[in-house]
Amino acid sequence: MPDNPIAVQLVDAVLSDFPDHQPGTRPVHTIGIGVQGYFEASEVARNYTIAAHFQGQRVPVTVRFSNGTGSPVEHDGWSDVRGMATRFHLGDDVATDLIAMTLAEFFAPSVDAFLQFSRAARPARQQRESPWQKILDMLCLKQPLPDPMPGQMASGAAGMLAFANQHRFAQMAVFQAGSIGAPVSYVRAAYHAVHTFILTGPDHVRRPVRFSWEPIAGVRTTDPTAPPVDCYLHQELKDRLQRQPATFRLVMSIGEIGDAYADPTRQWPGKRCRVFMGTLTLTTVPEDQEIFCEKISFNPCRLTPGIDISDDPILQARRDAYEVSRLRRGGQSCPFAAG
Amino acid sequence: MESEATWFDRLVDALPNTRLFQFIAEWILVPYWAARTPVKPQPGGPRMAPQPSENLQHMMNLIMPLKDKSPIGRAKAALAIAQNVDEIYAGLNNVGTVHFARFVLVDGNLCMFSVYDGDFSNYIRDFIATIGSVFNAIVALIEDGDAVIPCEHHVEAFIDWVHARDLYQVPDLATDLLAQHNAAASGDDLRLLPRDLILQLHANPNVSLGSGYRGYPAFSVAQIRQKLGVGW
Repeated sequence: MPDNPIAVQLVDAVLSDFPDHQPGTRPVHTIGIGVQGYFEASEVARNYTIAAHFQGQRVPVTVRFSNGTGSPVEHDGWSDVRGMATRFHLGDDVATDLIAMTLAEFFAPSVDAFLQFSRAARPARQQRESPWQKILDMLCLKQPLPDPMPGQMASGAAGMLAFANQHRFAQMAVFQAGSIGAPVSYVRAAYHAVHTFILTGPDHVRRPVRFSWEPIAGVRTTDPTAPPVDCYLHQELKDRLQRQPATFRLVMSIGEIGDAYADPTRQWPGKRCRVFMGTLTLTTVPEDQEIFCEKISFNPCRLTPGIDISDDPILQARRDAYEVSRLRRGGQSCPFAAG
Repeated sequence: MESEATWFDRLVDALPNTRLFQFIAEWILVPYWAARTPVKPQPGGPRMAPQPSENLQHMMNLIMPLKDKSPIGRAKAALAIAQNVDEIYAGLNNVGTVHFARFVLVDGNLCMFSVYDGDFSNYIRDFIATIGSVFNAIVALIEDGDAVIPCEHHVEAFIDWVHARDLYQVPDLATDLLAQHNAAASGDDLRLLPRDLILQLHANPNVSLGSGYRGYPAFSVAQIRQKLGVGW
């Protein structure tokens, strides 16, 4: 499994997009912070799945919030995708993960397409668009290119844009990523698991579903016209949790025949049945981040009976890619490794 | 070193918010690009889709310009509704697929906003059958309405008339607008998405921004009323 050539190729492709990446760290979402708390399922959740963490009892969780980039330099205030990886501790060393991000869709529907996308997204030197070019854009009613962030020398944005212009499946993710902004807090953003999972209910009915975390405090981004601040998200979270817990609602959409079960580039419409599955309460930021956060190896395919992966090829490829990444950085071992 | 913003950069960045640029955009750029790259007004109402929940809780946003836009004309429209409240409410109950419906006066327009289950044509057909007389009274006050009344005698023409006044619903996913304007699967330019939207709004001044939020998606009026124990 760790020598799966596609998984190795995927990890190498991601790493090539971040030339300053440091060995021994995560290839993307490199900078993050771990938080502890608990999850309590709603009273209706158990009607949809037999999975242990949806039966109503309080389940301890570890959550890692992160910035999207694989660079070791912290730029909290830059417009960037954020991650929220959640581990539900089910007891007896059994766990299940749910990995989500602030983008509501992925960039590519297949491994080949992702490898192409990744090549296109390799950073190139980025300069401010000339004022004359901006005026020309405005006369064409065309969106001028975004200015580089302070200190930003290179970016993959132009390559991603060119790729999206040629591949419609990437357009929504590239469009959204380009304007996603920076959250005022890791707990003031909505996070989407983007892939389809198959839930099995107590009645043995199998349902295709997608999950999102919605912050009870509401979604809020920083002022995009203000100069970005590099380091604030970790301290903000520590300060916030010292005052009071932060909460998220887990929302599940149920897909219907004809929906893109296997395509994470397509969001499902808001008309799908939406179920409130439970509440996540975050209470503390552990002192020892290395043990309680950085060494943890999350995996979107670490599931428990009652939840299965779908035919989504990106989801399936992530399973081994995360394992390759874990081995390279020396993360805690994963149950897949034995199998 | 990264290039610092000069005074000229800052001036250009602020340009879109200046009155001068807004004037040029409105009176020169938009008409120019509308003529150079014409955009077809997109049809109103929801898109067809095979999924069952796509057939539930459709939004209708009917904008009907009044013949007489004066306060007296608007009062006549208000009176036409007020005089027929019983017929309207009984008709809505008879149609049985309506979640919400309301009439609104906005400037010189009488608007009917509703949320309904099922097919649009059948929705209007049901209305003609149940409250056709009320529609006749209302449509008589609307521009270009005389040709389709009495609606019982012009069923298909009346359905088309209503459809033409039902607002275009901008796609929920912004980039789907590119695909609507450019049927070919290539040649898109994401940076031209603002122009696509501007030109669609030039051709289609009133639109619904997306298909709307639903508090209990994927459930019909019948399911909700049955579950609440209030009969259907």
